[in-house]
Amino acid sequence: MFEGLRNKLQSIREKFGTSIRDAAGSDVREVEKPVEAPSPAPQPETVSAPVLPEAPKVAPAEPERVVPAPVKTVPVEPKKPEGIFSRVRSFVIERELVISEKDIEEPLTDLEMVLLENDVALEVSDAILAYMREDLVGKHRKIGSSVDDIVSTALRGALLKVLGDGFDLPAYIDSHERPVKILVTGVNGTGKTTSIAKMAHYLMGQGYSVVLGAGDTFRAGAIEQIEEHGRRLDVKVIHHQEGSDPAAVLFDTVDYAKAHGIDVVLADTAGRFHNRKNLMNQLDKIRRVVKPDLVVYVDEAVAGNDAVVRAKDFNDLVGTDAVMLTKADMDPRGGAAISIAQTIGKPILFLGTGQAYDDIVPFRPEAVVDELLGVEK
Amino acid sequence: MLDSLSSSLKDALKKIAGKTVVDRAAVEELVRSLQRALLQADVNVKLVMQLSQSIKRRALEEEPPKGMNVREHVLRIVYQELVGLMGGAGKVELAPQTILMAGLQGSGKTTTTAKLARYFQRKGLKVGLICADTFRPGAYSQLATLAKKINVPIFGDPNEKDALKIVREGMKHFAGAQVRIIDTQGRHALEDELIEEIVNINEIARPDHRWLVIDAALGQQASEQARRFNDAIGIDGVLLTKMDGTAKGGGALSAVSETKSGIVFVGAGETIEDLERFEPDGFISRLLGMGDLKALAEKAEEVIADGDMDVNAIMRGKFTLRDMYKQLEAVNKMGPLKQVMSMLPLGGLQIPDDAYDVTSTKMDRYKVIMDSMTNAELDDPQVISGSHVQRISRGAGVSPDDVRELLKYYRTMQRALKGMRGSKFSMQRMMKRFGKMQ
Repeated sequence: MFEGLRNKLQSIREKFGTSIRDAAGSDVREVEKPVEAPSPAPQPETVSAPVLPEAPKVAPAEPERVVPAPVKTVPVEPKKPEGIFSRVRSFVIERELVISEKDIEEPLTDLEMVLLENDVALEVSDAILAYMREDLVGKHRKIGSSVDDIVSTALRGALLKVLGDGFDLPAYIDSHERPVKILVTGVNGTGKTTSIAKMAHYLMGQGYSVVLGAGDTFRAGAIEQIEEHGRRLDVKVIHHQEGSDPAAVLFDTVDYAKAHGIDVVLADTAGRFHNRKNLMNQLDKIRRVVKPDLVVYVDEAVAGNDAVVRAKDFNDLVGTDAVMLTKADMDPRGGAAISIAQTIGKPILFLGTGQAYDDIVPFRPEAVVDELLGVEK
Repeated sequence: MLDSLSSSLKDALKKIAGKTVVDRAAVEELVRSLQRALLQADVNVKLVMQLSQSIKRRALEEEPPKGMNVREHVLRIVYQELVGLMGGAGKVELAPQTILMAGLQGSGKTTTTAKLARYFQRKGLKVGLICADTFRPGAYSQLATLAKKINVPIFGDPNEKDALKIVREGMKHFAGAQVRIIDTQGRHALEDELIEEIVNINEIARPDHRWLVIDAALGQQASEQARRFNDAIGIDGVLLTKMDGTAKGGGALSAVSETKSGIVFVGAGETIEDLERFEPDGFISRLLGMGDLKALAEKAEEVIADGDMDVNAIMRGKFTLRDMYKQLEAVNKMGPLKQVMSMLPLGGLQIPDDAYDVTSTKMDRYKVIMDSMTNAELDDPQVISGSHVQRISRGAGVSPDDVRELLKYYRTMQRALKGMRGSKFSMQRMMKRFGKMQ
């Protein structure tokens, strides 16, 4: 995931850099440093190491950390090893500089196109651009700050803002009364049932006991599907018949968990469209009956602009506490993650990354942004 | 968001309207709002750029034909370019054939397989379904349950892991059937083994059609996925699913453009009957968030016999209970009211949500209540007083409150329609505009 977006962001960053350099004109000094001489081994790790600590250097929130002299070099293209062997350049602003909107309009447009191409929804990419603009335009840039840093910090800040915080599920379970009830919602075909099986597998791996509630009583074959998952994972599945009341099934599931001292209830629901009032009312009823601790909204990483619309409707109508993004392996872009997180302001819990039970990854925004901006771990 | 988008598109169109010469700035503004509308609808970014370039070029370079004003000229170009993008509707023959279903996980292959079976069954063909999804738990029982509902035979084995074996045996099993539809496991283009599996299924079954199922919400990834599927088995049609949500289905356009095929069917609903042939005009309107009179008119014609419901009378504000009764009757066949209304070019007009907030059980009750009314009451609901309400409620076996609720609903609808008449986007003008676009 995210490779596509990362590569594009790289070139956009350079473009921003160029525009800002042009704006600064002669006030920018070019610092060149041959890398192979001072550093003992030109491995990617050694070169990219300074990138991380440098990032917050010019963050507006921490102005005191501005380093006046260009002491470190910044690899302009950390992804290309040949650049490391030749020379690494860094442009440094010599005098105070104010960036005007005009200076960065062109790279901003390019950034917008890149975001859109990567399935970041239109309004969300607008938000990212607004953050960038706010961060870059009109602020005084201090002597000695590196142009590349200014750009990456702004981009990093904007992305972190839209991605929101992560969510530590084991910590949450530990700090709440058992059983912790997790209700899974979403539109049709996003992978709710598969995700429940994966979450069960993940939680059991963390030492929690789990019970599944077959709350999808509508779709043909749904109960058989979750039962089969239960058999394979050796997890109890509470189910009624097809067409029965989902709230009753899930109520029984919670009862079972209480009686047997189970840690976590994973409650499945039928996929439904957010514009179907009756079905959303039913979901609301389920929520009232089950009283879940967490409502996890499941959507797929390949969804386009509609991801935003439906995530918002689900959040408005039944509430969402966290998001699980499935099918992340289909798509190296990952724009939907950015879109959904920004729209409803709720953390992303997990990424689903394949067909096996192990293919579930806890989502860490910092790590994702690092990956997007090409920071090596 | 969407409303503001389509209205900015309409504003851009309006600006062009007054001009005698094509104005570069106006065209550029139109193209920009068109771009945003299409991107919002998940159309591939590159396609959007190509399209807008060529619209801009043609609008500025081509001379408007005699007798056509600037706005009509530009609109015609926009429409033509969009239709070009659509590639026309995919072909369906009512002949013996084998169809292979392909698509991503969760795109709706199994449901659509059952819907297709129903479609061909209703056309009088003998259908057999083969369940080659040996991976997803419950896949066989899902298809089997659906097939049982419509009495279509199914071949498959939930315990068999070899999809190729099932296809081989299934093709033999259904040698006598006229239409064989093979449902397959969901897969995506980066899963090499699964792609190889479908290539093998394709070789064994030698299907006449290989249709790609695309979820309406699929974003920019649609092109890439469609391209790989096309490389692997050669896609000759696209099935667009889940159009009953709010997604616009722009991903299907990317798929069509990659596979050089067309959209064959559109799935919009959870029942087995909810499958329609693709109509490019309606699709364009949905993409742009602009009304689609053609589809509405045709739909209305299909459902309502001549003279049953006078759309123009309603637009003039004459909306009686009788009209509402017909509307309720038609609603089942035409789809939810909101969908019907969304096909009308109402501009920024907001219809109150509670006007749509009528469940199907309520609709049935409303019809029973109206059955207990006299003709005079139906034609002029003003006459319904307290004693009328009592009589009607007794006759219909409902409480007087229910009757009052119906009258309240009627007034809401009437108000909404009156608002429509008063809005700047008059029906006649829109009719004219769309008529000339084509």
